[in-house]
Amino acid sequence: MSGFLRALPLPPRPPPVRLLPARVRWRQVWFPSRGLGVLSLLLAAVLLLAGWQFLQWAVLNAHWRGTSSEACPGSEGACWAFVLARWKTWVVGPYPDAQLWRPWAGFALFAAFWIWAVRRPAAASPAPVLWGFVLLPVLLLALLAGGGPLAPVPPARWGGLLLTLACTLVTFATALPLGLALALGRGSRLPVVRWLCAGFVEGMRSVPLLAVLFIAATLLPMFLPPGWNIDLFTRALVAFALFNAAMAAEVFRGGLQTVGAGQREAATSVGLGDFAALRLIVLPQAVRAVVPALVNILIAVIKETTLLSVIGLNDLLGAIENGAKSPEWNGESNILTSGQVFLALVYLAICYGLSRYSRRLESVHGGAASP
Amino acid sequence: MNAVPSDLSAGAPVVRLAGINKWYGTYHALRDIELQVTPGERIVICGPSGSGKSTLVRTVNLLEPFQQGRLEVCGIVLQADEITRAARLAINRRVGMVFQQFNLFPHMTALQNCTVGPVWGAGVSRREANERAMHYLQRVGLAHLAQRYPAQLSGGQQQRVAIARALCTRPQVVLFDEPTASLDPEMVNEVLQTMESLAGEGMTMMIVTHEMGFARRVADRVVFMDEGQVIEIAAPADFFERPRSARLQTFLGQVLSH
Repeated sequence: MSGFLRALPLPPRPPPVRLLPARVRWRQVWFPSRGLGVLSLLLAAVLLLAGWQFLQWAVLNAHWRGTSSEACPGSEGACWAFVLARWKTWVVGPYPDAQLWRPWAGFALFAAFWIWAVRRPAAASPAPVLWGFVLLPVLLLALLAGGGPLAPVPPARWGGLLLTLACTLVTFATALPLGLALALGRGSRLPVVRWLCAGFVEGMRSVPLLAVLFIAATLLPMFLPPGWNIDLFTRALVAFALFNAAMAAEVFRGGLQTVGAGQREAATSVGLGDFAALRLIVLPQAVRAVVPALVNILIAVIKETTLLSVIGLNDLLGAIENGAKSPEWNGESNILTSGQVFLALVYLAICYGLSRYSRRLESVHGGAASP
Repeated sequence: MNAVPSDLSAGAPVVRLAGINKWYGTYHALRDIELQVTPGERIVICGPSGSGKSTLVRTVNLLEPFQQGRLEVCGIVLQADEITRAARLAINRRVGMVFQQFNLFPHMTALQNCTVGPVWGAGVSRREANERAMHYLQRVGLAHLAQRYPAQLSGGQQQRVAIARALCTRPQVVLFDEPTASLDPEMVNEVLQTMESLAGEGMTMMIVTHEMGFARRVADRVVFMDEGQVIEIAAPADFFERPRSARLQTFLGQVLSH
């Protein structure tokens, strides 16, 4: 083999610029081959057709004004008059009018917290956000339920989106610490603790949430001593908390497994005891690794809250269904459908925002041990 | 730097392993280990892979429990059946360790890596821990990178932070488990030089390594292990020039031939 010696070092050069015209690049993306081109056209046609149908129903043929079902004859157009006439009850439920500033303040509080959380740099420590998620619901519950200087408002008077928000936040705030405790319990030295935690988690994971809710709603009061009267909302919250704690436990367990044995050994070697090692070394890394998965649990909880309507609670779905059953709006199934489409859009807006947030966190934490 | 602790009477061993035996399942990993390390002594342990040298140093701070024998570390005496978490913690507060994979805490800066042990393990005040950390980071030549996270440091820099982290707990002996084995070749020297200067200050060290040149320069005694046993212990000159056992002669022939 002949030798080689570079006489002059090569300076770095900018990458070549693609000189293909936009039209050609566009064609390469959409019609890379005949078969795929046909597929592109076909799918685009389906999309356009569906979009056109929806536009006709939702905008062109929609009914916007009116105070009763007479405003919405036929089913070829959405009945937004129903949504416009009713939306306020759907947002806050039958909350007393004089105290309405409290739910609005609750929404504003959560919105402010959320804007703060989303605007933080994605690489920053997730601890303040998680603490916020645990503390905010306590504040929200105190604000809504009242007591002290605030007039008490029982949960039976909460409803609609307010009930959904309260249920979601309280569930998340209780399920996270409980799930973490369960995950740690599964790694306990004591076999009884291990078995209990594993049994609970596996049991909960294998039962549909609806069954857990029914048990909490109907069966639980029978087992409680007479005189104990826990309201339906609280019982539902317990069911949600226990069920989602099992989900969170599995997420945390995965997170704990991502922290290698070397980290624990290093913690021991610098003189940290078991608890300090867990708190300072293992948990921060484990939790950081699962924050996107925790946001996914939050999304799941938000969607699960619609099950509240099945056990007779007045969440957003329940409020919409009640509205469609009221004398003014009774009749056309199209009216209920319009309300449900509105509900779908509300959930879509909330959950899509959350999933974008989770995606952003993933892209940051997905990389190897970043600060 | 006062690396030799004052509370040890001169001559008493810092580490003494007496009749240590360890099994992984049925595999006999350490067999009748007898070894003493006196204050200020530098012991290099070498041997083929799987010979038990890493297990040996990890036994000293009880990262690996043993099943038979008696361990004496910094005045703490333990029989095999007396190994508890409390005993392991007590020993680890007197012994430092540097790992092959660095094992820095990735969510903490270099400085925080150095202070977390003293503050939360030994109860040192945050201010003093910071001063101590900066002192040792200076010693390993990394004071200017104290605010960097491990992922922002090169392998050699990470291992030097790990050495500073071990020193920050004021250990009476530091264990090195193949500290240069996962470094790129051009970074091995910076770590070895840091260790050499540490040795020059009288720190007691037990070092598992394949760096034979380093062993020759730094070690007071070199230990050769094979199949879980100590085969030969000798001063470096004798160890490398006049190996007595056939097994060591073969081993040296293999590692020194290139």
